[in-house]
Amino acid sequence: MIKLINLTKQYGTLTAVNGIDLEVPEGQVFGFLGPNGAGKTTTIKMIAGLLQPTGGSALVGGYDVQRQPLKAKFITGFIPDRPFLYEKLTATEFLYFVSTLYDMKDPKPRIAELLDLFGLNEWADELVENFSHGMKQRLVMASALLHRPKVLVVDEPMVGLDPRGARLVKDIFKDLAATGVTVFMSTHTLEIVEQMCTRVAIINRGGIIAQGSVEDLARMASMPDSHLEPVFLRLTGGDEQIQR
Amino acid sequence: MFLLTPRYHGIKNRFSRLAPGDGLKSVILALLGLAFWAFLFGVSFKVLSYFRTIEGLGDLLAIRLLSMVLITFFSILVFSNVVTSLSTFYLSGELDILLSSPVPIGTVYRAKFVETIADSSWMTLIYGLPVFIAYGAVFKASAAYYAGLVLALVPFLMIPAAIGIGITMLLVSAFPARRAKDVLVLLGLLFFVAVYILFRMLRPEKLVDPDAFPTLVQYLTAMRGPVSPLLPNEWAEEVLAPLLRSAKGDVLFYLLMLWSTAGAGVVIGEWVCNRVYYASWSRSQEGRRAALSRSRAADRFFSLISLPFPGKMRSIVLKDAKLFFRDTSQWSQLFLLVALMVVYIYSFKLLPFERAQMPSFYLQNLISFLNLGMVGFVTTAIAVRFVFPAVSLEGAAFWIIRSAPLSITDFLWAKFWSSLIPLLLLSEILIILSNALLKVTPFMMGIGVVTVFLMTFGITSLGVGLGAAFPRFRYENAAQIPTGFGGIVYMLAAMLFIGSVVVLEAWPVYRIFAAQSFRGHIPPSGWVLIGSSFLLVLAVNVLALLLPMKIGLKRLMEREI
Repeated sequence: MIKLINLTKQYGTLTAVNGIDLEVPEGQVFGFLGPNGAGKTTTIKMIAGLLQPTGGSALVGGYDVQRQPLKAKFITGFIPDRPFLYEKLTATEFLYFVSTLYDMKDPKPRIAELLDLFGLNEWADELVENFSHGMKQRLVMASALLHRPKVLVVDEPMVGLDPRGARLVKDIFKDLAATGVTVFMSTHTLEIVEQMCTRVAIINRGGIIAQGSVEDLARMASMPDSHLEPVFLRLTGGDEQIQR
Repeated sequence: MFLLTPRYHGIKNRFSRLAPGDGLKSVILALLGLAFWAFLFGVSFKVLSYFRTIEGLGDLLAIRLLSMVLITFFSILVFSNVVTSLSTFYLSGELDILLSSPVPIGTVYRAKFVETIADSSWMTLIYGLPVFIAYGAVFKASAAYYAGLVLALVPFLMIPAAIGIGITMLLVSAFPARRAKDVLVLLGLLFFVAVYILFRMLRPEKLVDPDAFPTLVQYLTAMRGPVSPLLPNEWAEEVLAPLLRSAKGDVLFYLLMLWSTAGAGVVIGEWVCNRVYYASWSRSQEGRRAALSRSRAADRFFSLISLPFPGKMRSIVLKDAKLFFRDTSQWSQLFLLVALMVVYIYSFKLLPFERAQMPSFYLQNLISFLNLGMVGFVTTAIAVRFVFPAVSLEGAAFWIIRSAPLSITDFLWAKFWSSLIPLLLLSEILIILSNALLKVTPFMMGIGVVTVFLMTFGITSLGVGLGAAFPRFRYENAAQIPTGFGGIVYMLAAMLFIGSVVVLEAWPVYRIFAAQSFRGHIPPSGWVLIGSSFLLVLAVNVLALLLPMKIGLKRLMEREI
C-alpha cells in the first residue's frame, strides 16, 4: 500500500533522508522509529505530499505522490506531530471544511460519529483556540479519519494525549488495520510499537538501518527476548552514548 | 539585563545565518529605508527652509510644527506601548520559562520595559530623526542642540513606555489578555480613524496659507493649539526650541523634568507590577467562549457570502470569511478602509475648480483621468492589507490544504476570486462616486469604469500571486504580513502596473476627448494608433492577471512546510 523507492531529501548540503526503500502492505500497522533528527518527519511529510523529494519516489495505493498527488491524497489521512488548526473555527465547522476538501457527500452523520468517538461532543461548537493540546490532537485525528482513508500516515500520535485518549487511539488503529487500512506511524513510545506494530523500520542519519518484526530486530541486535528499548538503543548506537 | 540575552542572540543569529537571497533582500530593504529616510529629511528641510523665509512668522511656524510633531509622537508612542506591552508582558512565548524561574518580578519588569521600548519606539525614532536633524540643519544649530536632542529623547521614550505598560496592566486586570487585545485593537483603530478624518476635515494645509484667513488675529488663533505645560512633549519642546534658536530658556529645568518623570514612571511602574502583574498574567491565560460561532444570523451571512462560489472554492471562501470576521485584528481594519474611502471622496468636494485658470470642464476631465491612477493606488493600498495576506493567513494550518486532495491551482484561484469581488465593488464605487462629484462627461466615466474594472483584476492577481510567492505563515498579527519584503515588492509591482496602464491610455483618451470637446476629426490612421494603444492596455492587464498567479503558484508548490 505504501512503497518508498530510493526516497531522498536534501536540505542544501545536509541529506535528511538518504535513498530509503520500504514497502508496507495493506492492513499493517507499521512503526517508523529513529532518534531525534534521524529523518522520520521528513519521510512522513514526503509520503503525505507536504515535501518534494530530491530523488526517488513515494507511492501510496499505487499512486505516485508527486505525479498523481490528488489521487494519492484522496486515500490518505495525515496526522501531523503538532496539531496546527484554524483557531477561529469550531470543531464541527473544521470537520465540515475538511469534508468538502475530500468531496464528501452528506458528511453530517460521519462528523457526529467521529466527534462522539473522540469525546469531543461537548466541544463541537467551541472555537478551536479554546482547546487543549490533547483535544486539538483528537480533532486532527477525527479529521484524518473523516473520509475513511485507506492509508493513515501518523507522526507521533500520542503526544499530548491523556491515558484514556492514548488507549482510544491504540484501539482505533488496531480496528482500522483489521479492516484493511494501512497505518504508517512514527513514534518514540516504544511500548506502543511493541503492542501494535506488525513491522518496524528504524531510520538513523537518513538511512534505514533495520527493518522487520520486533523479534527480527531483537535478533539483529543479538538481544533475543529483549524489549524494544535496549534493542533500539543498541541498533542506533544510543547505548554507547549512555555508557559514556 | 541577562533576561534580554535570548533576544540579543536571536537578532545576532538572524543576521549571521542569512539564507541565500536574504542578503539581497536586506540590501534592497536597507536602500528603500534609506531612500524613505532621505525623502523625509528632504521634505522636512524644504518645508522648514520655506518657513524661515516668512519674516516674523517663520520661526513661530517652525516651532509650532515641532510642537505638533512632538505631541503626535507622544500620542503614537503611548498607544504603541500599550499594544506592544500586551505582547511583551502577557502574550510572549518565553514568559512561561521566565515566570517559572527564580527571577524577581521587578527584574522581569525592567527587562520587559527595555524590550517594550525597543519594540514600540524604534520606528517612531527612525522616522523622527530625519525631522529633528532637518531642524538642526535649517536653524544651523550648535552641538548643544544635538546633545539636548539625545538627552531629551531618551526620557521622552521612557515616559510613554511607563504609561503604556501601566495602562496594559490595568486593562488585563479587567479583561483576559486576548480579549484586552481585541478591545485595544478596536479602540485604537477607531481613535486613529477619527483623528485621520478630523485632520482631513480641518485641512491643516490652510495653516501655511495665511490668505485663507480673513484677519491675522484669526490666523494666529488657529496657530495656537492645545498646549499643556504638564505634558512631556511640551517639556521636550522647551528643551529643543531654545537650543535651536540659541535663545535663553530653562533647558536644564525641563531636562530634569523629563528625566525625573521618566525615573518616577519606572519606579511607580515596578511598584504596580509587583502588585498586579502575577495575578493579571494568570488571568491572561483564561479562554473565552465562542459567542459569534453560535449565532445563526452570522452563519447565514457567511453562507450568503460564499453562495456564488462552486464546490471546494465555496468551502475555502466560507472558511476565510469566518476566520476574518471572528478575528478583531482583521475585521476592525475595515474601519480604516472606510476612512480611506471617505477621505478620498471628500477630497474631491474640496477641489477649487472655480479658482482655476483653465476651463473647468477640461480640468475636471483631466483630473478624472488622473483619478484613474489614484483609484488604482487606493485599491492597491486596500489590497496590500486584505488581498496580499490571503495565502499567509492560512498560517501554520497550511498543512491541511497541502495534505488534502485539493490542487494548489484551485486553492490559489479560490483566493483570487474571493478577493476580487469585494475589491471590484470598492474600486468601482470609488471611481463612480469620484467621477460623479467631478461631473465628468459620460465618455470619461465609461473609460474610468472599464479601466478600473480591468485594473482590479491585475491588482488582485498581483496581491494573491505575490502573496503566495512571499508567504509569511508565522506571524503574531495579520497586520505584520504585508510589512515584509514581499509587501514592498507588491506595492512596487502594482505601482508599475497602474502607471503603465495610465501612461498607455493617456494619449488615446486625450485624442478622443479632444476630438469630442472641440469637434475635431480623427483620421483612420489615428484610430489605428488609438486601437493599438487600447490593445496594449489590454495586453498589460492580461499579463498582470496571469503572470503573478503563475509565479505565486510555482513558488508555493516548491515551498516546503
